[in-house]
Amino acid sequence: MIRWTSRVKFLFLLPAVLWVLTFTIFPLGYSIYLSFHNVERQVVVSGREQVPVLDAAGNPVLRPDGKPRTRTEVQRELQTTFTWNQFANYARAFRDEQVWNAVRVTGTFVLVGVTTQILLGLALAWLFNRNIVARGFLRSIMILPIFATPIAIGYLFFTIFYEVGGPLSWTGVPWLSNPNWALTSVIIVDIWQWTPFCFLVFLAALQGIPDEMLESARLDTSSEWDLWRYVILPMLLPVIAIVLLLRLAEALKLFDIVATLTKGGPGIATQSYTYYAFNVGFKLNDFGYASAMAFLLLIVVMVIVTLFFRRLRQSYE
Amino acid sequence: MRIGKTLLCGAAAVALGMSGALAGEYVDWLDDGRVVLKLGPNYDNATIETTREELGGLFGPDEKPFEGATITVLTLDSGPKGGISGPITAFRPVWEELSGGKLDIALVPITDLYAKMMLDLRQGTGLYDSIIVGAFFYGDLIAGNYIVPIDDYMASGDFPQWTYDSMPPSLKNLHTWKGVGYGVLNDADGQVLYYRRDALTNPEHQAAFKAEYGYDLPVPPATWQQLLDISRYFAGKNWDANDPDPDHGTVLHLKVGEQGHYHFQSLSAPFAITPGDKVDQFHNVYWFDPTNMKPLINSPGHVAALEFLQELHKTGPAAQVGWSLGEAWDYFLRGKSVFVFSWGDVGSLCQDTSRSKIQGNCAAAILPSSDKYWNHETQAWVETDSPQKVGNTTGGSWHGVISAFSQNPEATYSFLSLMAIKPVSIWNANNGWTGVDPGFYYQFLEPQGEATLDDYVKAGWNADDVKDYLQAYYENFTAPTMLTYLRIEGAPEYWDIMDKNLSAAMAGQKTAQQALDDTAKTWEEITERLGRDKILQQYQDAIGYQP
Repeated sequence: MIRWTSRVKFLFLLPAVLWVLTFTIFPLGYSIYLSFHNVERQVVVSGREQVPVLDAAGNPVLRPDGKPRTRTEVQRELQTTFTWNQFANYARAFRDEQVWNAVRVTGTFVLVGVTTQILLGLALAWLFNRNIVARGFLRSIMILPIFATPIAIGYLFFTIFYEVGGPLSWTGVPWLSNPNWALTSVIIVDIWQWTPFCFLVFLAALQGIPDEMLESARLDTSSEWDLWRYVILPMLLPVIAIVLLLRLAEALKLFDIVATLTKGGPGIATQSYTYYAFNVGFKLNDFGYASAMAFLLLIVVMVIVTLFFRRLRQSYE
Repeated sequence: MRIGKTLLCGAAAVALGMSGALAGEYVDWLDDGRVVLKLGPNYDNATIETTREELGGLFGPDEKPFEGATITVLTLDSGPKGGISGPITAFRPVWEELSGGKLDIALVPITDLYAKMMLDLRQGTGLYDSIIVGAFFYGDLIAGNYIVPIDDYMASGDFPQWTYDSMPPSLKNLHTWKGVGYGVLNDADGQVLYYRRDALTNPEHQAAFKAEYGYDLPVPPATWQQLLDISRYFAGKNWDANDPDPDHGTVLHLKVGEQGHYHFQSLSAPFAITPGDKVDQFHNVYWFDPTNMKPLINSPGHVAALEFLQELHKTGPAAQVGWSLGEAWDYFLRGKSVFVFSWGDVGSLCQDTSRSKIQGNCAAAILPSSDKYWNHETQAWVETDSPQKVGNTTGGSWHGVISAFSQNPEATYSFLSLMAIKPVSIWNANNGWTGVDPGFYYQFLEPQGEATLDDYVKAGWNADDVKDYLQAYYENFTAPTMLTYLRIEGAPEYWDIMDKNLSAAMAGQKTAQQALDDTAKTWEEITERLGRDKILQQYQDAIGYQP
């Protein structure tokens, strides 16, 4: 019989701990380390010699002229030098005009996109909470965009916004070739995809409000607006807060739509913060700077979330 | 059944013996020394004839010199019948039969190739034995000692035979570093001008053009200024009968993060380069001052060229600011624009009637020059009546190099050199889908080269189109003045910021001066960060500057 000692418990925990250490803690620690260092790598050839080619049985392979076939064996060593650069990568981020532009782009995207999604989601939830024709069918259609892959959506909208012969070309709007419109296009795609999520959650919350409460409220007012303002909205507030937080966290990571629809362009008009950080790291191989940028974003997000929850807690207290 | 199979094999062996050949699935060894490489049904059963001598000493009917070895080639992904990755896939079974080895092909989108390559090399993982690189990767590859020289392999006589002498000096430079060979011949990139022969030679348009602009419509245009006039003349008119809509002048591929900046490089060269006999501080330089690494990119010549490109852009569809190669090429192929200047792929795509409506009217010429250029020495504009054409090797000239971490460098080289032998190279150039563009002497028509018109016509080319096309490329790669190629550490980063600023200028967000000043400012920061002395030395080596 196994004794349920604390040691056995730790054994059960070990795989999870190892997983977290390997795939979370180590990369996190390494990227912090990288963000404070310059990394130089170079291959150094330490030796080169001709060695005989052997067959499967270990015998030398001979050339047609009877001489043993040889191959070059080169001893190489990869030398890596990490140089402490203090806060150079972080300081660089504050000087980098592309970073400030990316902050502006991401900020605009979050502000306009998330606000519109929540307002539209609320409006749709209100509409679908009433008796309308084919409500179930329409509701199913409404939520389909949530399940689409963002990369695929990017390519889909690339064809929709195609300005010469695309489905929306009749509008004459320079969807992707004008810097302002390009950012608008990215926001439209995100609204299209994520409004249904807001709608779905708000609808569930609306349907969770007890009928008795609404009926009692209706005895006090006949105004639908007052009902919303003083009864429904306060009850929805916690749900709105959670949706806002989820969407905020997701929108700050804007990457895939930009990568497929505009590649950050024209110029850097739609280059989001994460897209820029990704390019710096994985396209230009400047992992130190990319790590520093990632940590700066992490700090900003943590501050926002902390302030947000503090405010939420205060409103309940 | 067993008896039947044995009889069949015996009969086949007798038949082969009678014909004096040893036939494999992908390689036939003929007794007279000829060797036939067979690409199989996926490639229309194409065959390429070579010789035992050309294949080198290692390969032979009874030889499997790399049996058991597996090599991996990293290349851009255009599919098994697409540019660059297509021919590698096509010749894989041939090499596997010749060598006894196994070839794995690692495919990544072109935009991710540099990152994947550098990740492998910087970590020393050694996943890839060979990488099909763009020449602009060389700065990083050489600085890190990440690739191995191939001169010894070439001299050994063991491997398939090819030579750097087949390349014009402009292309040879891209495959070597300080006289040492690293790259194996494959593709030759450069931008030339494609134009609609029928539109430009139409007498009605010629008369109308002369009436409007006061001079004869030049075919092809000799200067960019003439090209702009012609472009403006045709823009907005329905001069192409393929549809009832108005057509355009020049179509460009300007999408940021792709190949838009190459347009600027090729176009600006005759504005911004001061021609001279050799590379010195002021002559034949384009990117940086070779004495101190100060950027030249915002010189008046470069700025004027960008302002010119902005004007030229107005003669094409506004949407092209967001267009990649495919969209721009298709626009020209559908007959919607009178000009496009781009790579050799366009010439071969013109011949593909499933995609092109202009076969037979797809003329080509070396890129125009400029009637004025900036003199870096006198710091003044020079106006000239005899503009000098400036050739370019703009693009990647995608070719194989061997990783320093390869465990099988000989096997790897044997594959790359098989792709580089003359008959394979000619076959690749003849077949447009391979993405392997012509640039080597034997691919040009006689008397400049060894190819015949018949070779190309048999491969489906229109005779007039291919004559223009090959002449354009010959003149481009052998031009007396060439746009120097940026091969320094961090070249993709230098180009990345230039690309973004150019795109901003083309979208109207920045003026030409502002875009190039911003580029120069960031280039200075990059140079400082990477180490000015180190980068300066690389730059001098890359362009052949002697202090």
